[in-house]
This record gives sequence, C-alpha cells and structure tokens, in this order.
Amino acid sequence: MLFLYKTLKKENNNNMNNIEYDEIIKENIGKDNIFKNVFIAFFTGGLMGLFAQLLTDFFVNYYKININDAYFYTFCFFIIVGSILTGAGVFDKVLSICKCGLIVPSTGFANTMTSSAMDNKSEGFVKGIGANIFKLTGSIILYGVVFGIIFGFIRSII
Amino acid sequence: MKLISAFIFCGFVCGISQYIIEKTKFTPGHMNTLLVVIGCFLSGFKIYDKLILKFGAGATCPIMNFGHLLVTGASKMYDKYGFIGLFKGILENAGGGISIAIVSSFIIALIFKIKH
Repeated sequence: MLFLYKTLKKENNNNMNNIEYDEIIKENIGKDNIFKNVFIAFFTGGLMGLFAQLLTDFFVNYYKININDAYFYTFCFFIIVGSILTGAGVFDKVLSICKCGLIVPSTGFANTMTSSAMDNKSEGFVKGIGANIFKLTGSIILYGVVFGIIFGFIRSII
Repeated sequence: MKLISAFIFCGFVCGISQYIIEKTKFTPGHMNTLLVVIGCFLSGFKIYDKLILKFGAGATCPIMNFGHLLVTGASKMYDKYGFIGLFKGILENAGGGISIAIVSSFIIALIFKIKH
C-alpha cells in the first residue's frame, strides 16, 4: 500500500506546475463546502446501501436463492444500471450533486468503464473502444489481482 | 434493523472517501483503486466476512467487495490445488463482475452517442 501511495504522489507532483494556480483555487473554495459535501456523500451513499439491502432481500425472498448469490446479483445489477445511466447522460448530472455517494458503490466502476469506451468510439473498434475501455478501470483490475494473490495466500495460511 | 446498519456503513465509507478526495488531490480513479486494495487487506485477515454478516448488503455494495471476491476465490482454490490454485482461482468469483461490466459497457457504447 505504501508503494501505491508513493506512485500516486509522484503522479500528482508532475501536474502541479503553478503555485499561483493553487493559491487561486484555495481562495475560491470555501472551507464549509467540505462538510456539506461529506454529508451529501454520506446521505446518498447510505441510500444506495439501503436500496442494495432491499434488493437483496427481494432476491432472497422472491427467487429463493442463496444469500451469497443474492449479494453478487445486487453487485451486478448496480453495474448494469450504472452503465445504462452513463449512456443516457443522466449519470454525470447526478454525479455532480452526489459526488462520492455514487463513485464508491459499484456504479462508479461501471461509469468509468462506459465513459472511457464512449469517449473514444469515433476512433474505431480496435484502436478506439478496444484500446481505451480499460484505460481507467485497468488500474483497479491490476492492483486487485496483484494484492488479491498476496492476501489470498495469507487468508489460506492463517 | 439491517436496513439502518446497511445505510450507516455504506454512507460511512462514502463520507470518508469524499473527505479524502477533498483534502488530497486524489481523483475518483485513485480512490476506487485504494478501496479495492483495502478490501483485499480486510478480506485477507477475515475481517470482511464479519462486516458482511453484520452490515449485510451495505458491505457488499461498495467497490471494496470486489477485492473480497478476488481474495476468496484465490484462497478457495489454494486449498484445493495448492500454489497454482492462487492463479487459477483469482478471477473465479470476481470474473463475473468484470465480464458483466465489459459486455454492458461495450453494448452501451455501441448504442448511445455522447451528448455535449
């Protein structure tokens, strides 16, 4: 995790060329905005969790399936809903209000994938969609697999 | 009662990540990657199973669950096949999520056009 943090820090430092620019940003963004945004993210994220619980209960009671399968179906349902809303153009408008409330649930994963596929659609199937679909979500899969193997080994031997 | 606990846990994760994004210069992509790694860590020490038992779908709805799926698949196959099972089983549970995301985003990208 330290390694990841260091690489992130390096990436960010390259982009901060202007100190003046940062000062202008600091002047324009008020401090009380932060707590308002955090509260909105808490509330909308909580609503997503509540909806997920309702959906899982519905799957378990109506289709009579295993609880672990029901959790997985809910996870996939959110992915499909997220990509459909991104395609329709609704997601970005809601995202500007809710912020992290929609990024942290699996809808955010679908949103980044779909939007990077749609942005480069004009360059063709292979060079456009095929090359760019994993542009942002590739890092999730890469670090997920690398750390997953390490911690999967730890989980087995503990 | 489970509805309220799901609300609180999922909201708590979202609130903390929003606070981190506001304070540091993380983008949502960085945040998602960090959450998956945290999910792997919690699942590796079997903390995540307890969280799921306690908070229900509130714990499986965030992207942290993706790390949990990766780790459980790998450890299950390790018990069966030994060391090579880690590589066989890493995508066993989480592969479904990845495939669904790929197929749905490909179809959506074919159908819809960008609106400016």
